[in-house]
Amino acid sequence: MRNVFLITTTLAFGLLINLEAHAGAVDSLQLEYQSQGAGSFSATSGEQMWKRRYLHKKSGKQRSCQTCHGKELTRSGKHARTGKVIEPLAVSANSERLTDIKFMKKWFKRNCKWTIGRECSAQEKGDFLEYLKGL
Amino acid sequence: MQQKREVLVWDLPTRLFHWLMVLAFSIAWATHDNSRHLDIHTISGYTFLGLLIFRLIWGVVGSHYARFKAFSYSPKEVINYLRALLGSGVKHYVGHNPAGAWAVFLLITVGMLLALSGLIVLGGEEQQGVLAGKITFDQSAPFSLLHEVIAWGMVAVVAVHVTGVIVESVLHRENLIGAMFRGTKWVEGESAKVAPSRLMAAVITVSVMTWGAISFSSYYGTTDEKPYLPFKGPTLAMNELWQDECGACHLAFHPGLLPARSWQRLFNEQQDHFQEELMLDEATVVELLGYAQKNSAEQKKTEAAWKINRSVASEVSPIQITSTAYWKEKHSKIPDETWKREVVQSKANCGACHYDAEQGTFQDAAMRIPR
Repeated sequence: MRNVFLITTTLAFGLLINLEAHAGAVDSLQLEYQSQGAGSFSATSGEQMWKRRYLHKKSGKQRSCQTCHGKELTRSGKHARTGKVIEPLAVSANSERLTDIKFMKKWFKRNCKWTIGRECSAQEKGDFLEYLKGL
Repeated sequence: MQQKREVLVWDLPTRLFHWLMVLAFSIAWATHDNSRHLDIHTISGYTFLGLLIFRLIWGVVGSHYARFKAFSYSPKEVINYLRALLGSGVKHYVGHNPAGAWAVFLLITVGMLLALSGLIVLGGEEQQGVLAGKITFDQSAPFSLLHEVIAWGMVAVVAVHVTGVIVESVLHRENLIGAMFRGTKWVEGESAKVAPSRLMAAVITVSVMTWGAISFSSYYGTTDEKPYLPFKGPTLAMNELWQDECGACHLAFHPGLLPARSWQRLFNEQQDHFQEELMLDEATVVELLGYAQKNSAEQKKTEAAWKINRSVASEVSPIQITSTAYWKEKHSKIPDETWKREVVQSKANCGACHYDAEQGTFQDAAMRIPR
C-alpha cells in the first residue's frame, strides 16, 4: 500500500514537472511578447494564421506552415526542399516541444521569414503559441 | 606406328587451380566497376592471390607436367615451335608446348602483379585490407590506374592463351580444353607417370569453400534495415552543434565532403542559403566553421574527401556537393527515375542509399539503391 502511494506520488510529481516545463517556457515567452506590446492571445487567430497560404513571389508557389509541418500536428512533417523528417509539433505527441525558449525564438524567426516573407509580430507569435500549446 | 593410349597429364590440383583461377578472375572482373560490390571483388582477389601462391609451390612439388622444370623452354625453342607450327613437322608435346609454357609463366607473372597492385589500391584508396594504414591516399593513386592496366594486360594474355589452345587443338586434332577438365590426353610416345593427388585437391576445395563461407557468412540474415556492411570506415570527428544546426533541415553533411574554402563561402553567404536565411549568430558560425575547417576535404580523412578535393579546381568554391566533378562522375550511372523515387526525393538525401551517410564515411559497399 505504501509502495503504491509512493509510485503514484512520484508519477504525479513527474507529470507536474513536465507540464511545468511547457507552461514555464511558453508563459514566459508570451509574457515577453506582451511586454513588447502584444495584447491578449487568441488560439483561433493563431490557428487561422497557421493554416493560411502565402504566395512566395520568387517561386510563384503557395507556402504555409503546413507545407513542412503537415496538416496533422501530432504526426511528423517533411522539409519542403530536402524531405528531411520534422518531428511532430504537438506537445501531446512530442514532449520536447515548447520547452526551449532559444529554440522557439530561432525557429519563429527562420520559419516566419520563409513562410510569410517577414518576421512575425509579437502578437502573431503569441497567438501561435496559444494555438500550439492546446494541441 | 605405336598404339595411342590415354594417360593422366594434368593432376587434379592443377586442373582445380586452373578453373578456380578462371572463376576468381571472372568474378573480380565483373565486380570491378561497381563500388557496391567491392567486397566481392576483394574476396575474389584474395582467392586469386591464394591460388597463385599455391601454383608457385605446386610448380616445384607437384606432379611431372605441373612442375615449372618440365616446361621451362628457351625463347629459341618457342620460335622454333611457332615456325614449325606453320609448317608440317611440328613436334608434339605431352605437357605444355614451348609457346603455351611461356603463356603460363606470363599469366602467373601478370596475375601476381595484378593481385599485388590490387592490395596496394585496397590499402591506400580504401584504407582496408592487409595494407590499410600503411599507404596514404596519394601514394596509392598511381596504382589505381596501374591495377586497371594490368587487368587489361591479363585479359590480353588470356586471349593469347585461349587462341593458342584453340589453334593447337585444331592443328593436332586434340581437345586441349577437354584435357584440362578430364586431365588425360591420348599419347603415342613416352610419357611421365602422373599421380592424381586427390588429397591436395581436397585440401584446395575445402580451403576455398571455407574461405568463401567465412567471407560471405555475414550476409546471412541481414535485411534492408539491418544490412551487412563489409567495410568499416574511420571514426570521424562529430560536432553536436553541427548536427543540430545543419541536421535540422537536411542531412548534416560531413565537412569532409567539401573543401574549407567552400565552407567559408557557405557561412559568408548564410543570408541566402539555398533560398533560406540561416540567421546563425557569430559564436555559432565560429564554432561551425572551426569544425568544418578542421575536418574539410583537404584533410583527406576518407576516400570521398580525398577524391572530392582532388576533383575541385582550386579557384572555385562549390557549396553544392553534387556539383563537384567527383560526385557527378560517381553518380552518373544512376537513372533520373531513381532520384525521383519517394524514398530518395533529392540528390541531397545521401542517406537514402548510403547507410553511413550520417557518419560521413561513405564506404564503398555501404550502399543499396532502394527499391
